Amino acid sequence: MSFIKKFIESETVSRRNFLMASAYGISGATALQMFGPSPSMAATYSDPTIAWSYRNRTNPYWNEIVSGGEAFVESLGKSKDFLTHLINEGSSEKSLADVKALLAKTNGELALAIDTNDAPNARPVVEACVDANAYVSTLWNKTDDLHPWDFGDNYVSHMSWSDEGPAERTARILLEAIGGKGGVVHLGGIASNNPAIERLNGLKNALKDYPDVELLDAEPADWDTQKANQVMSAFITRYGDEISGVHCANDTIAYGVLEALRAEGIEDMPVTAYDGNPQAVQLVADRKLLATVFTNPHWGGGITAALAYYAATGYFKPSDEPKEHREFNGPTIFVTPEDALEFKANYLDSVPKYDWTDFWGPSSGPIVYK
Amino acid sequence: MAITEASGGIISSLKLSRRNTLIKWAPLLVLVVLIAFFSLIEPRFFSVRNFARIFTAASPSLMVAVGVTFIIIMGSIDLSMEGTISVCAVSFAFCFMALGGTLASWAWLSLPFALVIGAIMGALNGLIHVKLKIPSFMASLAMGFVGTGLAMVMTGGDRIRIEDEFFRGLLTERILNFPLMVYVAVLFLLVAWVIQSYTILGRNFYAVGGGEELAIASGVDVDRVRIMGFMLAGIFFSVGALLAVGRIGIAETATGNNFMFLSITAVVVGGTALWGGIGGVWNTLVGVLVVFVIGNGMVVIGLPGYTQDGVLGLLVIIAVILSTDRKSISFVK
Repeated sequence: MSFIKKFIESETVSRRNFLMASAYGISGATALQMFGPSPSMAATYSDPTIAWSYRNRTNPYWNEIVSGGEAFVESLGKSKDFLTHLINEGSSEKSLADVKALLAKTNGELALAIDTNDAPNARPVVEACVDANAYVSTLWNKTDDLHPWDFGDNYVSHMSWSDEGPAERTARILLEAIGGKGGVVHLGGIASNNPAIERLNGLKNALKDYPDVELLDAEPADWDTQKANQVMSAFITRYGDEISGVHCANDTIAYGVLEALRAEGIEDMPVTAYDGNPQAVQLVADRKLLATVFTNPHWGGGITAALAYYAATGYFKPSDEPKEHREFNGPTIFVTPEDALEFKANYLDSVPKYDWTDFWGPSSGPIVYK
Repeated sequence: MAITEASGGIISSLKLSRRNTLIKWAPLLVLVVLIAFFSLIEPRFFSVRNFARIFTAASPSLMVAVGVTFIIIMGSIDLSMEGTISVCAVSFAFCFMALGGTLASWAWLSLPFALVIGAIMGALNGLIHVKLKIPSFMASLAMGFVGTGLAMVMTGGDRIRIEDEFFRGLLTERILNFPLMVYVAVLFLLVAWVIQSYTILGRNFYAVGGGEELAIASGVDVDRVRIMGFMLAGIFFSVGALLAVGRIGIAETATGNNFMFLSITAVVVGGTALWGGIGGVWNTLVGVLVVFVIGNGMVVIGLPGYTQDGVLGLLVIIAVILSTDRKSISFVK
């Protein structure tokens, strides 16, 4: 009878094992999702679809970002049409719906670079990608509580730019140029935009060290040349000769400011800008602008796609990387009249051939949350 | 179409009540009050230099608003201005740079070229609206998107800088304190006024807007009038585009941005009724000035910029209330 006893015992054990195993199958898998999938779970793909999801290309800045994505795809020996463009036209709903549609179409074999249009939309996008075992890298927008390292390998990286420090530096250049006394005006971006807030804060920080300089006025110019032109004209009416320098939140605003000054016959007013667009760099070289900051959107757009792609192919394993390789700030390069021509030759006249596997070389440190 | 007592320029002269007088002069009154208000708070507002700044800023929008005025008088609407302006600005810039990059060469041909492009865009707009029987609102909005897309494809997202001294003379050369572009705008405003008041086409706009059935019964070729109207609007959009490029020296896809809101607001605030038949280019001049006096004045007296849109929105509602005899409207849709 002992064989029967043995049989029952072994059955009980294997049934327990089976129950344990199935229980693990349900809860273990969810637990793994909480703590990050095991190495064997994050499948890699030999030839994933590469996609960039963004607002649209009308804005030169985003045009640069996407051209970087195309340059990266070409570095793989593919035509630039291989890059799938998901254009959200400023709608977070469309952004998420497009991503879900592409995940379904590619069955998760996707390397996605995305600006989710607004911060709250980043979480559903990332979760959709993680659920489908696709690989996603985000740019600019995400909430502070969403981190790539909480999602194993599938949420590869997040890149953003901190503008407060660089804007403070351009402000100091401006305040030095006006001799540390007088009045300055600031023309900002759309009032609620984060970069607009940071760039104005940069100016305010610099002003603390210059008690003799008064911030006469700060008005939003909505990143728009024509609006900036009108606002600057009105500033001239209101403050006239009191204005000794102009701090602009970006290059497109500075173009409008320079033209408003030109209309009044003012040629030598110190003006600083931001973004390092080609025309602005030329204006810096011509000493019409005092300084601008280049954030290398071409590299940013390329490397965001490259990170997602190389994680998807298994070239590198995101979860083995330190946190500063998962969330980092993009590059900032100052352009001043002394180095403008050299900078233009190196970065703008011929777009440098980047090594798209040097993921973190040009970046400028981890993202710091306040 | 809403039925009003004063339905159309043809019969409006028959009944000129005090109310109508008020409606006629209300926009000008608003403008005067605004100027007085801003001048009291900040005396620097009331200076020739500042008026020159306001007129300079307003010139491109004035041309666009004048163009759309013709369409609104007909009781239609044209929302294609942003796309048309972008295409005209970018085509002009490409042509200008290709032909030598200075007005002192054959590049001056790019000025009429831009106007022709505007006319073609406008005519297409009209043809789509009339021949395919698509409401003007939808046809023109769609054409506007086509235009923005086209400009995008042409430039690849880049800006084109126009640095030619002669062309930029529009902004930098001044006669009696006002830049040349203001005089160009005034000249085209007079042209628009002549078209509106002294040509058959101009009168036909009012006829179509005042009562289309009546116009057809009187033998007006309404389809032709509509297409001509959209073509004319396209030409004025193009003039606006040229002045916009002259003002900031840059042609790009974004050149057309914001013109839709500005011009439609200006036309309505000026007292041209959206259902057609009432108003004209002088109303539009007043409307454009109201919009730009607010834009300039708010900054000059130091009010935050984001209140501007709010104030403009309120003004639109007030303008419509003032210019509508609501007792005679049986339904609103």
